[in-house]
Amino acid sequence: MSARTAAAPARVARPVSWRRPVNTALRYALLGVILIFAVFPFVWTLAIALTDKTAGSSIYAFPQSLLPSRVTLHNFVDVYRTFSLGKYLWNSVVITGLTVLGTLLVSALAAYPLARFRFPGRGVIFGLIVLTLVLPGETTFIVNTLTLKNLGLLGTHAGVVLPTIAGAFGIFLMRQAFLAIPAALLEAARLDGASELTILTRIMLPLTRPSLAALGIFTTVTTWNAYFWPMLVLSGAPDKAPLAVAVLKLKGQFNYDPFNIAAGSIIMMLPVLLVFLAAQRLFLRGMEGAVK
Amino acid sequence: MQVHWRQSLMSYTFLAPALILLAVFTFYPLLYGAYLGFTEYSGARFANHLPPQWVGLKNFETVLGDPLFRTALANSVKYLLVVPALQLASLAVAVLVAKNIPGIALFRAAYYVPVITSVSLAAVMWEWVFNREGTLNWLLRALHLTTPEAAFGWLNSEQWAFWAVMLVTFWRGFGYYMVLYLAGLQAIPEELEEAAILDGASAWQRFWRVTVPLMRPTILLCTLLSTIAALRVLEEVLVLTNGGPLNSTYTALMYVYAKAFQGFDFDYGVASAAGLVVALVALLLSALNFRFFHREEQA
Amino acid sequence: MKRSVKALTLGLALVASTASAQTTVTFWTWYLSPKFDGYIKDTISAFEKANPGIKVQWFDKQDSMVQDFIASVNLGSAPDVVNLNIDETQKAAQNGFLTAVNSLTSPATLRSTFYPQSLSNFTSGANTYAYPWYGWLNEGVLLYNPELFKKAGLTRAPRTASEMLTYAKTIKDKTGAYAWVPALKDPNTASFLGYFYAEGLPVTDASGKAAFNTPAHASLLAQYVTLYRGGYVPEDAVRREAFQLATELYAQNRVAMIIGGPQALTRIKDTNPGLYAKTVVTQAPLGKAGVQTGGSMGLVIPKASRNPQAAAKLAAFFTNNANQLAFARVVPVVPTTKGAQTSTQFKTTGSDPVARATALVGASGRLINPGYRAPGNSDDLYKNFNDNIEAALLGKKTAQQALADAATYWNANLKK
Repeated sequence: MSARTAAAPARVARPVSWRRPVNTALRYALLGVILIFAVFPFVWTLAIALTDKTAGSSIYAFPQSLLPSRVTLHNFVDVYRTFSLGKYLWNSVVITGLTVLGTLLVSALAAYPLARFRFPGRGVIFGLIVLTLVLPGETTFIVNTLTLKNLGLLGTHAGVVLPTIAGAFGIFLMRQAFLAIPAALLEAARLDGASELTILTRIMLPLTRPSLAALGIFTTVTTWNAYFWPMLVLSGAPDKAPLAVAVLKLKGQFNYDPFNIAAGSIIMMLPVLLVFLAAQRLFLRGMEGAVK
Repeated sequence: MQVHWRQSLMSYTFLAPALILLAVFTFYPLLYGAYLGFTEYSGARFANHLPPQWVGLKNFETVLGDPLFRTALANSVKYLLVVPALQLASLAVAVLVAKNIPGIALFRAAYYVPVITSVSLAAVMWEWVFNREGTLNWLLRALHLTTPEAAFGWLNSEQWAFWAVMLVTFWRGFGYYMVLYLAGLQAIPEELEEAAILDGASAWQRFWRVTVPLMRPTILLCTLLSTIAALRVLEEVLVLTNGGPLNSTYTALMYVYAKAFQGFDFDYGVASAAGLVVALVALLLSALNFRFFHREEQA
Repeated sequence: MKRSVKALTLGLALVASTASAQTTVTFWTWYLSPKFDGYIKDTISAFEKANPGIKVQWFDKQDSMVQDFIASVNLGSAPDVVNLNIDETQKAAQNGFLTAVNSLTSPATLRSTFYPQSLSNFTSGANTYAYPWYGWLNEGVLLYNPELFKKAGLTRAPRTASEMLTYAKTIKDKTGAYAWVPALKDPNTASFLGYFYAEGLPVTDASGKAAFNTPAHASLLAQYVTLYRGGYVPEDAVRREAFQLATELYAQNRVAMIIGGPQALTRIKDTNPGLYAKTVVTQAPLGKAGVQTGGSMGLVIPKASRNPQAAAKLAAFFTNNANQLAFARVVPVVPTTKGAQTSTQFKTTGSDPVARATALVGASGRLINPGYRAPGNSDDLYKNFNDNIEAALLGKKTAQQALADAATYWNANLKK
């Protein structure tokens, strides 16, 4: 690790080697196969969602079902109208936004001393936090709903968000990221008289941006798709429920209709897909995004 | 001494928000849940507002004596087979997409699509793939590996359902760990790899001799997460097979879930006891994990 | 803490009662929104008009109904009127979650409103725990795709259960489509426990012990095993509920018949209107016992309800004859009120499949009977029973062995 110093030499972008075209072709072929594995189910769902079902066609008629002859948006309209999804969409945005901000803040603050300071109790605290990954959480919801009720937070978005933002995963992830930053960098800043808060916000956070972005996206995805906990907290306030809870009704309503299920699923997935596509450059850059 | 004291104060100030939230919403309910494992707390007691009643190890006897739980625990342990496959594949894919060649951003983004897919949506999609008339059989037929008569629904087969569910876990996971590994790869100085190339090391050698050793902290994190997730697998199973056929995909967490949520006949005592048994196994595996990967890590 | 919560509730109650002398009743339905929002909201406003002191707050619950119910009891915010089915009502009553409705409405009134069997379905011991609401029949109607029948060389619907089995082979062999989707693993009473009853075979003896391990039971199961293993039943029937699967496949021309409630028709109308118009509706064949099996919903009053009197009023209002008939006009459900038997609305027949189906079943609520009472500890018993049925279907056990194993488990784990 010490091989890296603060003044890492500027990286020279390695020219893509075209000298071995066979190698390159193989690489792309491999990338392509994995690509199909990754997105095929999604593409098929999209195709089914766009199919005009009144033709009585089967979703299993390959390969026609991948290229529906009669395309329609009717399934989407049907689902959107039946459930008036706009309100739930907004709730999802609020809940997810608050959760992501809270998680990043709390995790980074907690991870910094765990990674970089020596203080009594550090081992115990870290051990306890890791332990929560392992312990059975199946009955925690009973106690947590009672706590929220006593705090007056039951049936509010804050009640959904607060219990979820401090988690072992986020703290662990950020700790690992902070650990990877060369100690020399911090020593230099300390010698310059920078406070710990300054070091955290000016050095540590910028340097760990890819990890922060990754944690942000992970949290977005988990929160966006979570339904059990929000359903429980908001069971008395269904107007505040997120999209995932509303979409659950799809199953009850359209379990016989794969076309509408497909359309509903796509609607549910689209926002988080867009967020991801917007944010992916932050954390999917690989080597190019490395610290300069 | 002075500095030490200030550093401790600083540390606890930074940790305070996390510790308070964890204490209220995680540690306290977890402890209470663990306590419930030693009590009788069934629907009937609950409905009449009776508190849980201490019964010692009775629930553990019930759980360990239940053939269904033993099957379930065995299945969960067998599910750990997904971990090495998943971790190796994710790391390899991360290395594969780390290099900037034209169009690589598209591949990276596409590989992440399974991760942002919710479990229920993934279940819908994969059910269609695994169906008797689904794409998997269609593909096998196109490759002349099977005939229409021999086709079967993968999720309906006692031999195959388990592996089919595991494939879905793999599918949902590899993009996720790929991102963690990509973040880790950034910390590896490129000079090292360039030096290895100059030394004439092949890509295979570079992967095992440079990348893997330097990625140890990330591999530890990912393996740990993946092990615990595999042992506690629940959602995929619930939505794809509901534990069938013939309980071949019935996992330990499904047992816990069924006891805690099976409606008015629920039994929090038995559910918590079963949860504790699973936790014990997870704890054991995590300790092994740490021992295996932790050697070189430093603060 | 408990005291402060109590004080808070008291305070809230005071505020509420001084603000206006109104009671708020919380009402939970199960899987009825958004499809029936119109009917529910209209009925609620009619109720509120008739009872000016009571305001109704309505929520529709889906998958999480029972968990939410339990959680709300824990939190002290229990609903006042809850929509449960027969099985869940029995379980909730066994565990002490419910108030007996005969303590809120006089037994004489209950008897004059509902069919005796409907009340008996929700009775445990000496008490009745629900106001019977809308119901359905498992063998309600038979609908078939005439084109597939023609292709198979069949001219009429099957009339007996054994004829169904011959049809299964003929249709699959000649058309490639399945004849119908028998319920193999549906929850609770809807599959084999129901079939036994329909064939006149006992499920339990008088003491509640399992009685389904005789050779007669085994030979019935064996018939289905043969069918399944011969490929005459869609494979997915061991994994999915028959009704869902049948409705999905029927709309895609891959299943020729559906047996069950007419509600399948409204769904087919949405997904494949062309096929819907062609669909023929007729009477479903009955088993040897000549009885219908079926189920119904009920409205229960939780013990934790703070307004049991007002709750009882609302439950009685929703389940009365006029409102059940009105519901049956919106969707082809079977009312459980005596008055429905003579109602003129089920006497009209037209050419529309839904109208014909409704006419066939609408007045037969008296026949709704699951055939036996849910045993204590029923979740574990049903799971084991279904596991054994599955073992037989997949060829791991003989039918006789599977039923014997299930009976042994049933008797060993039965809680009363």
